Amino acid sequence: MNNDLKNILSNSNKDIDNQHLMDYLSNQLSNTESHEIEKKMTDDPFMNDAIEGLQQINDKAKLAGYTEQLNKELKRQTGKNKRHKDKRKWKEQPYTYFAVLLILLLIIICYLVIKQFNH
Amino acid sequence: MSNDKYSHIEDNQLLQNFYSDKNNEWLGFLLQRYTLLLLGVCMKYLKNEEEAKDAVQQVFLKAITELHKYKVDYFKSWLYTVAKNHCLMKLREKGKYGGEITDLIAESTEEPELKTTILQKDNTLNAIESALQQLNKEQQQCITLFYLQKKSYQEITDMTGYSLLQVKSYIQNGKRNLKILTMQLLKDEQ
Repeated sequence: MNNDLKNILSNSNKDIDNQHLMDYLSNQLSNTESHEIEKKMTDDPFMNDAIEGLQQINDKAKLAGYTEQLNKELKRQTGKNKRHKDKRKWKEQPYTYFAVLLILLLIIICYLVIKQFNH
Repeated sequence: MSNDKYSHIEDNQLLQNFYSDKNNEWLGFLLQRYTLLLLGVCMKYLKNEEEAKDAVQQVFLKAITELHKYKVDYFKSWLYTVAKNHCLMKLREKGKYGGEITDLIAESTEEPELKTTILQKDNTLNAIESALQQLNKEQQQCITLFYLQKKSYQEITDMTGYSLLQVKSYIQNGKRNLKILTMQLLKDEQ
C-alpha cells in the first residue's frame, strides 16, 4: 500500500512492445494487463498520444498492414541512403583521384624519358 | 518492435552505432521500433489515416536528416517532439487549429517530476496521503481505484458510471494536482 502510494508520483521507464499494444487496442488483455498499459500511459505522453490516436482507427486489422508498409519504405530509404553515402565518400575525397592521376602521369613520363634516353 | 534481429540492443546503443559509422541502417532498426507509436501520434493530431501514414514517412525522413546533423541524447522523447511538431506544422498549414495549437502544446507540457530523493523520504508518504484527501471527490475516487486498487479504465468506468474519457481525465488531472499538493505540503513542513 505504501509503495502503491509512492508509485502514483514515480514514473516507470518500462517500454511496452508493439504486440502487447495491439492486444490492448483489440481488447484482448486482462484487466491487470490493461491496467499496466494504462499506468504507462499516465507516465508517458508519447504512449498516451499514440494510443489515443490508434484508438481512432476503427479497423484494427489495418494497423499491422500500415506498419509493415511504413517499415518497408523505411528500410528502402535507409538502405538507399547507405549506398548514397558510399558514393558520397568518393566525392568527399577528390585528393584520392588526384593522387592516382598524378602517379599514373609520373609513370608515363618516366616511361617516355627512359625510352627517349635509350634511343 | 521486438521482431528485429537487434531487439536485444538498447535504443542508445543503436544510436551510438550510427554515430560511430554513420550507417543509416542503424537508424532504420531504431526507427522501426517506433512506427506504430508514431502512427498513433500522427493519427491523434491529423485524424486521417492516409495523412497520418504520410506524416510518419516525413517524420522518418526528418529524423534521419537531423540525426546526421547533431547528437541526440534522449532519442524517444526527441522523436516524440519531432513528430508532434511536424503534425502541428501540418495543421497550421491547413489553417486548422489556429488558436488551439497553443492549447495542444500547453496540454502536453510535462509537469515537473518529483525527484527520487523526495520520494524516498518518510514524510512524503504522509504528504501524499493528505494530498489525496484534498483532491475533489471524482479525482480521489479514480486515483484510488487506479493506483491503489490497480483497476483498469474499463473497470473504473463500470464501477463509477463515469465515461472512459472522464475516468482518464480524472486520473491525469488528479495525478497532476496530487503532485502540486504534495510539493506544497512538503515545502510547508520545511
